[in-house]
Amino acid sequence: MLLSFQGIRKQFGNTMALADVSGAVEGRAIGLLGPNGAGKTTLMKVCLGLIRPDAGQATVLGHDAVADPVTVRARLGYAAEGPGRLPGLSGLESVAYAGELCGMRRRESLLRAHDMLDLVGLDESRYRPVETYSTGMFQRVKVAMALVHAPDLVLLDEPTSGLDPESRDELLDLVVHLRDHGGPAVLLSTHLLHDVERTCDAVIIMQSGAVRFAGPLDDLRVQRASEYDVRTALPAPALQARLQALHAEVTPGGRPDQLRVRLPAGAGPELLWQAAAATGDAVVHLHARAASLEDAFLEAVGGRPVVAAPAPSAWPRPAEPPRG
Amino acid sequence: MAEPPLLEDRIHAVGYRGHTLRGRPRRAPWPMARTALLLAWRNRSTKFALLMCLAVVGVAGVALVGQLLFQRFTSGSGLPMDPASVVGSAQEVFAGFVRAQFYTSAIAIAVIAGGCVAEDRAAGALELYFARPVSRLDYALGKLLGAGLVPTATLIAPTLLLWLVAVGISPPALGAQLWWLGVPAFTAAALGAFVLTTTLVGASALGQKSRTVSVGFVATMLVLTGVGEGLVEAGQTWAGYLVPERDLRTVVDALLEVGRPSIAAQLVPNRGVLPNEDVAASLLGLLVFAAAGLGALAWRLRQDVER
Repeated sequence: MLLSFQGIRKQFGNTMALADVSGAVEGRAIGLLGPNGAGKTTLMKVCLGLIRPDAGQATVLGHDAVADPVTVRARLGYAAEGPGRLPGLSGLESVAYAGELCGMRRRESLLRAHDMLDLVGLDESRYRPVETYSTGMFQRVKVAMALVHAPDLVLLDEPTSGLDPESRDELLDLVVHLRDHGGPAVLLSTHLLHDVERTCDAVIIMQSGAVRFAGPLDDLRVQRASEYDVRTALPAPALQARLQALHAEVTPGGRPDQLRVRLPAGAGPELLWQAAAATGDAVVHLHARAASLEDAFLEAVGGRPVVAAPAPSAWPRPAEPPRG
Repeated sequence: MAEPPLLEDRIHAVGYRGHTLRGRPRRAPWPMARTALLLAWRNRSTKFALLMCLAVVGVAGVALVGQLLFQRFTSGSGLPMDPASVVGSAQEVFAGFVRAQFYTSAIAIAVIAGGCVAEDRAAGALELYFARPVSRLDYALGKLLGAGLVPTATLIAPTLLLWLVAVGISPPALGAQLWWLGVPAFTAAALGAFVLTTTLVGASALGQKSRTVSVGFVATMLVLTGVGEGLVEAGQTWAGYLVPERDLRTVVDALLEVGRPSIAAQLVPNRGVLPNEDVAASLLGLLVFAAAGLGALAWRLRQDVER
């Protein structure tokens, strides 16, 4: 199991950063998605053993990150969101230094640093001091520093923030490359849905310190597949009442004969015809709503937890929304 | 006919390649120390500070070598030589050198390593270390090692060098006796280096900016010396224990006279009075300075790094 959390709770003063986070995730590229202040960075730091949770247990790559953080960190790479640079060192020296801090020999880390800087696409500027770098160049260096010791899992905290579109594209391409070509697994923290949609095969959605969804990205989209736009032969209120009695969520459409229906879990579209028949009505038009990840995400962070599709027992149950 | 060997293409720039660590993982302190010194070497102020230290070594070296060469030539010409006086003078040169170099080393270490912890905190680089398999102990050892190499180079190594030169060029009759000066000279240098390193790293852990730490450290050292010596002259002998360099002199002179009538003690009859009366209190004073530095570093790491 890549990551698993059990009842993790962390409070900073009056702020509950992590509220009973539980779950487990597996995958090659996992998005850690949520608005600013959702607890993404705190969760990453718990994985790294940098923050000791007030309660709960975090297991990373099979090791207890709370009890044995140094062992965990040896197998993790981390590119922090903040500056985290040593002024005066060149990009190459920074990456080689990161390798040496992870136990590599000097020559070994220098060779590897060149490899990683080639991979992230930093050319001759690797010999310049890092303080002269643009944001995009330094992000590349940070990713190379996270990869230099060949970790099993690399944590990227907001790697695309502050990048121009071209640099952002290249960085996301790199994540896809790592995912598809034998690189380490990636945990990508971001508040940009598009980044996750483009690069990840699984996602953890967080809000206000709680996990609102954790599972494969496809499962999140599946939730939207059970939502339909319906047009009926007769004015719709009767059918609306009938569907609500069957535990469907129904909202009126733009016309009297239109409804938007979210079916209860496990129900198929045949329920719509049965309900219409029971009310003496008929369905004249049925349109399954597109599986928009954005809608699912907004719904997840909007207060109602998204129910993960029944899948491997490893996937976590969605957490309850925070109270109050 | 044997098949020709296949060509091995090594294209490093294409794609991600895994890597297996060769041998046992290395500990982080040495790379940390080496990198800190590498960065410091790129500053002009570092070279200036080291030049200053070199100048003090040069002055002490000229004094020592001049004395010994004079004795060597005069002994060769048949003039009478007083071995105790010669060795005593050499010891005075060592004592003077350690005393002066203690302060120049304080300036050098402040300039070179003043920001060793403060800059990491200011630049948000602590995460850079602690997101990797670096423990708080590794970090502390790395910083102490990096800072400690400065007085090692400016204080301990020149002391040993001067001593070797003194032994090497002294008249044959004095060579064996000068060997004994190595112990107190080395002890003085090592103790001084230890106190400077621990207090500077502690100050850096408490400070916010490299320059503030450097100036504050040197100023505190000078103020402590000035005020302490002044109070001692005014009869307040307890104030002598607040001056690290005075404590150091006391311990080293006492070391020289331990086990009197030892050979070493007989060689330096002109150093009979200790700067501070109580040797144990002086040693305790030095240890308190060192402990304060280490304590400040430990406290800061516990504050800033949860794990």
